[in-house]
Amino acid sequence: MDQPPEATAAAARAWDRPIVVLPVFVLIALVGGLFPSFSLLANLLVLAVGGTMVWVGMSGRAGRRPPPGRLARGAGWWMVPVLLLALVELFAFSKHSIDAYPTLSLLADPVLDQYLARAACYFGWLAAFWGLVRR
Amino acid sequence: MSLSRIVIVSLFALTAILFAVVEWLSRRENSRIPSLGDLSGFVMQYRVGRIPVGRVAIFGFWWWVGWHFFAR
Repeated sequence: MDQPPEATAAAARAWDRPIVVLPVFVLIALVGGLFPSFSLLANLLVLAVGGTMVWVGMSGRAGRRPPPGRLARGAGWWMVPVLLLALVELFAFSKHSIDAYPTLSLLADPVLDQYLARAACYFGWLAAFWGLVRR
Repeated sequence: MSLSRIVIVSLFALTAILFAVVEWLSRRENSRIPSLGDLSGFVMQYRVGRIPVGRVAIFGFWWWVGWHFFAR
């Protein structure tokens, strides 16, 4: 696979700016919030949006921040919340009890059933995805 | 609500708080802790030969998160 052209954030294209992409994300989130889980449209939208993000991110079409040369020594602190999340999720999943040991997605379902919360979370997912694309 | 459910919910809440605390610590001046964004950026640099394994893994994981929560 060829190395994508490394554009810096300063050399970003005209469309690659918050004033352009954020309204697009808001629109996608408002539409995505309408589609319930397990619906065909919800699947198609996530596949289309995610696929576009991956394509832009892999091809280097968006400006990228300069990568950190080396990792700071305190990076290990991130293992604390990451491991705790993984352990709690795996433990709850292994119990196979929806009520007594709910997984994160089971806890999120009632929240994501509400349109505004679903649209807001959709926007957060898109914004974080864009942050990764620009890395 | 059963005790086990309260414990599980509390642990998930503690996890969210820990993520926020570590991110806050990372943003202090002269912090030795990288931000989550910098950590992701570092992982995304990882390549095996010409294949950007780190980038594929991070994108794939985040794509899956969206699909898991919004499509199924």
